[in-house]
Amino acid sequence: MLTFAVVTPGLDLQSSFLELLEGLGLSQGLAQLLWLPLPMLTVLVAAVVGVLVNVWLERKISAAVQQRIGPEYAGALGVLQPMADGLKLLFKEDIIPAKADGLLFTLGPVLVLVPVILSWLVVPFGQNLLISNVGVGVFLWIALSSIQPIGLLMSGYSSNNKYSLLGGLRAAAQSISYEIPLALSVLAIVMMSNSLSTVDIVNQQTGAGILSWNIWRQPVGFLIFWICALAECERLPFDLPEAEEELVAGYQTEYSGMKFALFYLGSYINLVLSALLVSVLYLGGWSFPIPVEWLAHLIGQSVEAPLVQVITGSLGIVMTVLKAYLLVFFAILLRWTVPRVRIDQLLDLGWKFLLPVALVNLLITAALKLAFPAAFGG
Amino acid sequence: MFGFLKKVGDYTQDAVGAAKYITQGLGVTFDHLRRRPITVQYPYEKLIPSERYRGRIHYEFDKCIACEVCVRVCPINLPVVDWVMNKATKKKELRNYSIDFGVCIFCGNCVEYCPTNCLSMTEEYELAAFDRHSLNYDNIALGRLPTSVTSDPSVQPLRELAYLPKGVMDPHGVASTAPRVGRLPEQVLETLVQNAAAAPAATPSRADAPGAPDPADSAAANDA
Repeated sequence: MLTFAVVTPGLDLQSSFLELLEGLGLSQGLAQLLWLPLPMLTVLVAAVVGVLVNVWLERKISAAVQQRIGPEYAGALGVLQPMADGLKLLFKEDIIPAKADGLLFTLGPVLVLVPVILSWLVVPFGQNLLISNVGVGVFLWIALSSIQPIGLLMSGYSSNNKYSLLGGLRAAAQSISYEIPLALSVLAIVMMSNSLSTVDIVNQQTGAGILSWNIWRQPVGFLIFWICALAECERLPFDLPEAEEELVAGYQTEYSGMKFALFYLGSYINLVLSALLVSVLYLGGWSFPIPVEWLAHLIGQSVEAPLVQVITGSLGIVMTVLKAYLLVFFAILLRWTVPRVRIDQLLDLGWKFLLPVALVNLLITAALKLAFPAAFGG
Repeated sequence: MFGFLKKVGDYTQDAVGAAKYITQGLGVTFDHLRRRPITVQYPYEKLIPSERYRGRIHYEFDKCIACEVCVRVCPINLPVVDWVMNKATKKKELRNYSIDFGVCIFCGNCVEYCPTNCLSMTEEYELAAFDRHSLNYDNIALGRLPTSVTSDPSVQPLRELAYLPKGVMDPHGVASTAPRVGRLPEQVLETLVQNAAAAPAATPSRADAPGAPDPADSAAANDA
């Protein structure tokens, strides 16, 4: 708890913006109303741009791993290729199969995408650089991510196609089984930081730079969380719900045009989100490997100085994104390294390996917290 | 109690082993990241087909004697030879000749058996068409020569792996004059001739031995 005292308030854009508007003579309520859409729009744009970057990285890294070149002619190094892909999907005909349930068929992809975007609510890029510092941050994310399988099941069932149904069922089974070890490994982190808030979890890791990151205290939890996050995102080696060799495209089989794009967007936003949360929970979030307070002290600047605040704020954003994309790179590399598991192996890994290990990890964390409260957040 | 501990130990060992193998695999894929692409950027770069490539068939109308051997040796009797007997000259008069490349399997039998060599294989392989009937080539279309990959200014020709100099794996930037690995048939022939010329002078005692060595054998012996 002592570490909390040295944590600086950091860049607070909201209060500065409100002060500015109130200085211009607007009422407090109006200023608040004008502020509200700004962070939401920013995060929405950030999420979509994140997906574009992700798709480009996926294509380029996959190409490099297979000794190909990958997209090359759409923009420099093919950076515009994801835009072209998106534009193509936008212009394609939106088909609802004749015997499908139109309402559920349309609702499915929406129900998959919306919770993922909502989860960005709790992703912090700095002390005050998030939409809302809700007290139950991580819990909110876990709760939202469990809405997703309903959407997948819905779209799989309403497609009126055996492959879609199988894919939907697999997706639901996979998401539900991997949510438990995921939640348990998050619980160990929460136990150490005494808070569900993502901001508090990062602040608890800022004491001594890279050494105070949770990955050193929770190496097993980190691995479990990452494996479960990959399974939740349906990334290889856990992409059984859309295993193209056996299920055509799983629950996406009957989808085309923008509805398919929603699934596509959802899965990539989810991947970026998972990577961001791994960096928040285990890799110190926005914190630099060397505490910025030390660096500021070294060059004789106050952490409160406006310029230093702006620099540390941008450094925080850069660090968060960098850590997240490092994990995304790792996920892509993993995709071309490991083969897909069978459905029984998948459930075996989830229930018979990750779940007990996550439980043991939680118990050991609790014991260590009682034994060494200083090191494990007493 | 200890049975349980042994189980846990085995399980841990399994997990550690799996982690080790996955790390090894990641090492392999990571290593591939720094390797150069091995792909040919097709419309801009093209591989030079080998000299024995069996591409679209070329046909010379004026050489053809309408003997229909090509039809008889074709697995599906594909070539259409349209001729009439000129009663006055008592000779076949060829009117049309066509091969449908949508059906042809490029086995090369017609080329092999053509008595006047009016049929030959080209290196053309880009036969995509919007309509399959446009693949039915008549004697005019069959008589066209394809654009050679090496003479097309919009294409960078690349050599296939077997045609690269010794030890070279990447066809990019290899000079067109650089010799391919191994010796060409005419080079082999040249050494054979040289050896045959040198053999009687160098080893006169072996020349009168029963069953004088074949020049090819001595060349092979000299090579080894």
